[in-house]
Amino acid sequence: MITSNKAMRSFAAGILAAMATTAFAQTPAATVGYVKTVTGQAWVTTIGQRVPAVPGTAIMIGSQLKTQPQSTLGVTFKDNTVMSFGPDTELTVDDYLYEPAQGQLKLGSSLAKGSLNYVSGVIAKLKPDAVTVKTPTGIIGVRGTQFVARVEEVK
Amino acid sequence: MTAAKTMKHKISQMAVTAMAVALLGACTTPPPPPPPQLSYVTLLPSPDGSIGKVVVQGQRGEQLLTQAQQGVFLDGSKPPFAVSAEQLERDFGASMKARPALPEQFLLYFEQGGTQLTAESKSLLARIVERALARLAVDMSVIGHSDTQGAANANEALALKRATAIAEQLRGLGLKDTVMVIESHGERNLLVPTPDDTAEPRNRRVEITLR
Repeated sequence: MITSNKAMRSFAAGILAAMATTAFAQTPAATVGYVKTVTGQAWVTTIGQRVPAVPGTAIMIGSQLKTQPQSTLGVTFKDNTVMSFGPDTELTVDDYLYEPAQGQLKLGSSLAKGSLNYVSGVIAKLKPDAVTVKTPTGIIGVRGTQFVARVEEVK
Repeated sequence: MTAAKTMKHKISQMAVTAMAVALLGACTTPPPPPPPQLSYVTLLPSPDGSIGKVVVQGQRGEQLLTQAQQGVFLDGSKPPFAVSAEQLERDFGASMKARPALPEQFLLYFEQGGTQLTAESKSLLARIVERALARLAVDMSVIGHSDTQGAANANEALALKRATAIAEQLRGLGLKDTVMVIESHGERNLLVPTPDDTAEPRNRRVEITLR
């Protein structure tokens, strides 16, 4: 009886573990995008945890993306928005909402310094005023297009 | 009045005039020019060739870009200006070169009522796998859809079955470890708008996006 209980418990634990793994592999809850390209050295900092960016590194709401001098980084978001960064760049993902069926769409980011190439995805297509890039001197609003922006750090 | 005296008088007059001009100048001279502005945005055509718009709400004004290769300072202080190809390359060459491959989309269609692909769509599977494997750190979404024939909740379930079946087939064909987000949009996201309870082959589909 005890043995079968134990077996039952470990079986249940196994199922839970399998479910957790599947859930993580199929629908990473808070992941809003992934790193796709890196040259030189770049970092992704999420909830105080800094990891070197490599293709496949997950981007979440609140993630800070940073490139070193002579380095670049490219990321693709869930809604097909594509952003890439030149050397010595710092961008934070402030808001990301992608629930097209509920009409909940938002992509807010802050470019503190450096250079950005942005190609709009589904969010900008469905809700044009939902995409913003904040910079120290002004806010960029996007109406479905590609743009490049550069922020010279205030010293 | 001697010539020397006249001269002196003239000189003092000139000096006063010069001082007045200098003073006047001091009053109307604008504040020292701001440091050169290097923070700006430039509108480019989308990869599909269309040109959208960029709005800048800056500390010193609002500006609108509507033409390709038009730039504007991020503080909004000045009207748009043209940005040369050389300047684009100098300031943005590295970030443009780092741009990941753009996402690719495929549509797979189904026979009525089940998870059986049409023959044509079935032959697309190998191509999807090939394209996925060619990408760096690919992640994909597999979204199932139905037409409006039958009840909405049954269609929600059917569309999920379709997406899951396709995901399994793709895993079997070589995408075993690929990150896949599997979802159902049921009959809520029609490709071809129809009234309720309408069989429409183009709405019975799974949308695959490779990123």
